[in-house]
Amino acid sequence: MLKKITWFSLLMLLALVLAACVAHRADWMPPLQHPADAGLGKRPPICTDCHEASNENFNWKRFNHDTYFGENHRQQAYQNSRVCGMCHQQSFCNDCHATSVELKPSIKNQTATYRRSPHRGDWLARHRIEGALDPTSCIRCHRNPKTAATCVPCHG
Amino acid sequence: MVLVFLLRLKTIALRWLPGGRQELRLSRLGSIKGGFYRMKPRHSIARAALLAGLVLLVGMPATLPAAEIRIKSDTLVRGMERNIGGAEDKAVAPGYEYLQVDGGQLTEKGFSFHSYGWGRFDFADNNYFDERSDGELLYGYLQYADAAEGLDFRLGRQNVFAGVGNDAIDGLQVKGEMGQGVSVNVFGGQPVGYASTEGRSGDSIYGGRLGFQRSQFGEIGISGKILENNDLKVEKTLGLDLALFLPGDLSLYGFSSRNLETKGWGEHSYELRIPVKAFNFRPYFGQYEYEHFFGTGVNTVNPFRVLAINGEKLRVVGLDTTWKFSDALDLGVKLKGNDYDRMNSSRFASGLATWHGDDLTQIGVEVGYMNGDLDRQKYLLTRLFGYLDGLSGFGLGFISGDVVWARYDQPIYGRDNSLFLSIGTGRAFLDDALEVKVSGDYSRDPYFDSDVRGLLSLTYRYDHKI
Repeated sequence: MLKKITWFSLLMLLALVLAACVAHRADWMPPLQHPADAGLGKRPPICTDCHEASNENFNWKRFNHDTYFGENHRQQAYQNSRVCGMCHQQSFCNDCHATSVELKPSIKNQTATYRRSPHRGDWLARHRIEGALDPTSCIRCHRNPKTAATCVPCHG
Repeated sequence: MVLVFLLRLKTIALRWLPGGRQELRLSRLGSIKGGFYRMKPRHSIARAALLAGLVLLVGMPATLPAAEIRIKSDTLVRGMERNIGGAEDKAVAPGYEYLQVDGGQLTEKGFSFHSYGWGRFDFADNNYFDERSDGELLYGYLQYADAAEGLDFRLGRQNVFAGVGNDAIDGLQVKGEMGQGVSVNVFGGQPVGYASTEGRSGDSIYGGRLGFQRSQFGEIGISGKILENNDLKVEKTLGLDLALFLPGDLSLYGFSSRNLETKGWGEHSYELRIPVKAFNFRPYFGQYEYEHFFGTGVNTVNPFRVLAINGEKLRVVGLDTTWKFSDALDLGVKLKGNDYDRMNSSRFASGLATWHGDDLTQIGVEVGYMNGDLDRQKYLLTRLFGYLDGLSGFGLGFISGDVVWARYDQPIYGRDNSLFLSIGTGRAFLDDALEVKVSGDYSRDPYFDSDVRGLLSLTYRYDHKI
């Protein structure tokens, strides 16, 4: 018990130190929300249509939502989740990345055929092949007892 | 469904109140069993977190600009038939409510509250689900954010995305930009994914990420995560993430993780981004050692537990290519090869063409082939999809369609192909505050001879400035 309290005390201390330090910070920071009057439209954005690909503030190019962005955005989220949050609320991510959901994303958003939702169509049959060939992609979402609950009926 | 959701909120609240956890478990099980009072560390976390919240509330600036409240409700009702035992199929009609509530200073610096969860109720009650009702609070946290200063405190149930930290936690997360391109993210609490699972208790998680960024050169991050179960370290991971912006508009991204318990590198994933006029090339490489990648001690769940002990190594080499042929036409090609120490290798190739119209209108076709060394590792996958937007002239908002057809070289449960069809439509009402969508789909595959399902979806949005 003492150890846990110590950890949280340290976390709080670090939080206060952080709060003190950021007061002297001068870097550019993305806003909490993308300006609403930017006219982003409905289509997935290509950031560099408006922003420079890279400038002294930020590298926007890596956030271009091109054809395969939905399958390759892990690194951007690990390093700059703050930028994701300018347009997406956490609930958007939770369609795929959540501790416990019953509806797979391709069913919850069935009419959104423009999103390359995972597990569409015959996935139940096809995952016997793909899961065996590259199981590393499965564990990113099904890594703990709750998220692996959908695996349990067959895999035990 | 709202009731189910509120009950879930109550469950979470009980967990956070001193003594509430024991109360909850006793009410569920009706008797005292050994081990309940191992939850004490959890209570200490809850108390410490609540105390931390109070400190935050006292310590933060008291400016309160205009607040806002946003509510989004997704109500979905599905209909299908399932064989639940017995000679005849029975109706299954679950209704889902996904409710999101955000309030406070949502666009300016200050405090805000965010929550999102779902509940399900089975209207047919034919024992298809283990429980007639179910649900989950996916997140619910208090936030203090100051975007201009790069400061972000979050307290409660939330998701962490920070290097090796990719978890949902009940606890505290602090993100800050320290100046000179240095950023810090620290978190601690209880991992939601391990809570209340088969009587398990006493889990805690803590970790963080330290990043060094130069906007024109790139970013390097070091991250760590520790999961404990009753003071026993069951998962210790160290991560290194990398983004380098190179001359010639090239970029190099990478991620490595080291399992400190099994003392080995679990993953190395690196990729280049090479833009050449209208083309974008993404060659990538990944190496995974199953013992260190899947081996997380008692935390490893099936089916990954078996993989953690089989000593396999996987190397992935691939190339994604996109070609913006015109403003309206995108082309893409994916090539991927898997190579193993023990298993047979495999190769995958696919091509994609997408035509874009106004708004979300698009029509696309995709063909891919998985070529494993064994017949049971080979399949052909084809997909044709479409979405026609802006059909208000026809009294509709959109029409969507999807066809997926696959052929397996070796039949699965006696069937060597599968077909999936879906069609849907919808439109918005009340100045786009309400959206109604209806869709249906049909499957014929190794698991279903003929399966027809329907889905009604209502999305309601409310936004009000206080």
